[in-house]
This record gives sequence, structure tokens and C-alpha cells, in this order.
Amino acid sequence: MNPPIGPVASWARVAALAALAGASALAGAADPAESPGFRVDASYTWDNNVNRGTAADTLKDRALGVRAAVSGAVPVSTRTRAIVQGFAGTERFQTYNGLSRNFIGVQGDFQYRAGGEFGRATYGVFYRFQAEDYESTLRDGYRHAFGITVVKPWTDRVTFSAALTENITDATSTVFDTKNTSLRGSVDWSLNNWNVVYFGADYRRGDSVSSICRNCDLTRTLGLLNTATSSVQDDAFTDTVRDAYKLKANLWIFSLGYNHAFTGRQSLDLSWRRGLSKGQNAADPATQSDINYYVTQYSLAYLARF
Amino acid sequence: MRPFGVLDDPRRRILIQALAAGFFSSAGGAAAQIFGRSPGQLPSGQSIYRVSGNVSVNSQPATLRTRISPGDTVETAPNGEIIFAVAEEAFLLRGGSRMVIEKPPERSGLATALRLVTGKVLSVFGKGRPTRIVTATSTIGIRGTGVYTETDPEQTYFCTCYGVAEVAANNDPASKETVVATHHDRPLYILAKSGKQGASIRRAPFINHTDQELMLIESLVGRTPPFVFPLENYSGPRRDYP
Repeated sequence: MNPPIGPVASWARVAALAALAGASALAGAADPAESPGFRVDASYTWDNNVNRGTAADTLKDRALGVRAAVSGAVPVSTRTRAIVQGFAGTERFQTYNGLSRNFIGVQGDFQYRAGGEFGRATYGVFYRFQAEDYESTLRDGYRHAFGITVVKPWTDRVTFSAALTENITDATSTVFDTKNTSLRGSVDWSLNNWNVVYFGADYRRGDSVSSICRNCDLTRTLGLLNTATSSVQDDAFTDTVRDAYKLKANLWIFSLGYNHAFTGRQSLDLSWRRGLSKGQNAADPATQSDINYYVTQYSLAYLARF
Repeated sequence: MRPFGVLDDPRRRILIQALAAGFFSSAGGAAAQIFGRSPGQLPSGQSIYRVSGNVSVNSQPATLRTRISPGDTVETAPNGEIIFAVAEEAFLLRGGSRMVIEKPPERSGLATALRLVTGKVLSVFGKGRPTRIVTATSTIGIRGTGVYTETDPEQTYFCTCYGVAEVAANNDPASKETVVATHHDRPLYILAKSGKQGASIRRAPFINHTDQELMLIESLVGRTPPFVFPLENYSGPRRDYP
């Protein structure tokens, strides 16, 4: 008979995986130059639409986040290597505490680079697994992401990177069981050794979840019920009764950031992100504006490597 | 009818005048300063790949057209930096540095000799070309390798990024060490005074240079470093994409 797999057993399993990833990183560090790296990030983010609602129904909030990671590279051959990472962290929202969460996970990358020339591209495949525990219940669950990546220096100051990623969330509520495909491109522009400006564009196609006030606009509520593939009363918000709707959507995310390194081991990162989500298949009486949302985030992060 | 050679379209006339004035080449140069360029082997006759801030060669301001040869002294102000090549060797000299590229004595067997008076330099040297680097506190013999050196009157930081280096402390004949490195394996401090014979060379951390910089300067002399994947241990940490 199989042992019962409850939340505690699942978390223990994820923690064990993360610890194993860290141990693998340490064990694989035969070359001193490939010794494991420890990273801690602390961030403060302001978000003007944490419920991902339509223009008339948005909630602002601020969140503090901390993430710690250990990673190491293991040479596989002259031109290939594996990178193993274990990470854990927390994100705490100031007002809507139901969105606060703890997470732990592992990521594995396999990379190929054809040679040591400056302009050679690095190609990679990756898989990431993450368990999440929210202060509310419906969003608890697991995230999987896998995809392909490429990083290519264009010049000695500009580097291009791109990724095609499949994101899958397996949550307590089926509304938060989502899938989307992301195609992302970003450009890093090094002003000098210590200052980098970066720009990114990310197009995501798939499921999106919006939490909308149930009684504020009954026509909109009816339209969302007719359009959504599923819905549930959201337990993360306490301001009013809100329902979470899973919609098919196309989402664009643009980001602009500035990274200033103090030394080789610490940096400060300031970024702006803008998300534009266009819902699909609006059903009567929903209008297109009822299923679109816009979100802006500003984030300041301190990053340290040990 | 206009005589031959006289342009009747004012836009073409302006375009040709702009070309003649080198407008587009200077615009390209400005774009390269801002967005960089893809590094490659320097054409013969060109020594300098990039120069920024106040940099001088033999006390004259350096430009991209300045030639650098053995016997020259290259100096950077604190805001300056220069990337250049001499024969089969390439260098990245950081701000606040003074380096003399010496003419090696005949019959010394040396291909290159450098004196880093003060400051910081990343260097790569051709295979089979014995080289000597002299700093305030150390004398280092190397062969076909990439190295990073920082020096001041009190100590020298020396990283054999790859290759072989024979490191000796100037004031302590008992302090000698041979480093065989594949990838920044054993950075060292060479002290001016250690208080004890044989203890002037000490282990050091990996600091202030990157594999991307090594790849860049190797490309100026048509080579590639022996590693394939650059380390990111000394570029500022970056946020992971969510």
C-alpha cells in the first residue's frame, strides 16, 4: 500500500528535492571555478492591479519578497553542462494577505555552447518545479515550467536572450489550474561594467485568472460567467465578495529595468513592468473591456551573491 | 543643361557632402561607443580596440588611430580604460593604471616584458611566447596564458586565468610558486612585506575580472580562451525572469 501523500508529505518531498539539488551542485563542483553559488534576493514591489481586474475594478498593493537559491554547474562535456538550482522564498503582501505565499522549488538547465568565441550563442533547455503555499487556499499547489532558451552577445555591450516556455499550474481549485505558452525576448545593454539597462517583451497565450467584484456590476458578472471556462469565489480578497474567473487570454508583458552592481557580488535592480491582457471569446453580455486588464508594477530589488 | 558632375537634386548633393565629411563613419563610431560592437581580430596597423576616458600613450592622448609598440608607456586616468593589442598579446588596462611595454633584452628569450607600475590589467599572451610581468612586489614568468594583475606598493593580486605562471616575490626569494590553472584556479596575493620568509605569497579570492573580458581580448588577436562557458562570478547578480 502506498503511503498517504498529504500536503506535509508533498512539502517534505519538495524540500528534499531542493536539498538534493543543492547537494548535487556542491558535489558536482570538481572545478573550483564551477563552485556552487548562493544567492539572496530581497525585493519591494508596487502593483496597481493585484486582482488582475478590469479598469474599473483594480486593487493596489505592495509586497516584500525574499528568495534564496543555491546553484552549481556540472560539466557534462567540453561544450555542454548542467546547472542545478534549489530555491525557496516568500512574498508578503501588505493589504491583501491572502496573496502572500511561501514557495520552494528546483530547476535544472542543460546548456550547449559550440565554442569559447565571444559572440557564440548558448542554447539551453530547462525544467522548473515549484510548490506554493498561499495564505489563502485556492491558489495552493504546484507550478511546472519547461522550455528552451538562447543567449547571444550581439556586441560587447548588448546581449540578446530569448525563451519559449510552457507554464503549467496545478492548484487546489481548478480555476487556478492554468496553462500558458510564453515567448520572451530581452536585450541587456551594458553602459559599463557596473550598469546595465534591460528591456524585455513577453507574449503569453493561454489561461489567465481575474478576480472581479461579484455585486458591483451584475451585467459584467453575468458576462464573465458566460465567458469564463470556470469560476470560484476567491478566498484571497476580503474587501468584498470576489469571484475568480479563468479566461482564455493573450498577455503582453513589457519590462524596462536598470541594474547597478556595487561589486561583483551585490547589485541593486530597479524595474518597471507593464502587462496588457486581452481576453478571448467574450460571450454576451460581456464586452471586450470586461475581460481585458492592465497592470503596472514597479520593483526595487537588492541582489547578493555569496 | 547642367554641366557633367553638377548634381541637380539637392538631397543627393547633401548626402554626398555628408559622406565626404565622414558624417556616417563618425555616426557609426558614436553608435559603436554607445552600443558596442562585435569584437574580432584587429586589422594590421591598428592597436586599439576601444578607448574611453582619459588615456595616454607616451604622454600623448590616445585615440583609436594611436599605434602601441614595445617601448611604449600606456597610462589611464581613474575614469579611463583602454583595450588594445601588441603583436600576439592583448590587454585591457583599467582606470588609474600605468604600464610599460618593455622591449625584452636580446637573448633573454622573452617575447614580451611588461612593467605594471600601478593599477589593473587583464592580459592574454600567445602560445610559445615567454613573457615576464614585473610589478612593485612580484616578478611573474608566464607562457601562453591569460592573467589578471592588480598592483600597488603594498601588494600584487595575480590570477592565472588559464595556463602556467611562475610567481616570485621581489623581496622574498623564498616565496615562489608555480600555478597551473585551467579556469581561475588559484588567485594569489604577493605581499611587499610578510614578516616571515617564504610567506609572501597567499591565496586570494577571484575578483575584478570576467570571462567575457577574456573572450573579448582573445578575439582581438584571433584566438579563443580554452573554456567554453563563461563564469558569471564577477558580474553583478541579475534578477531571474519570473
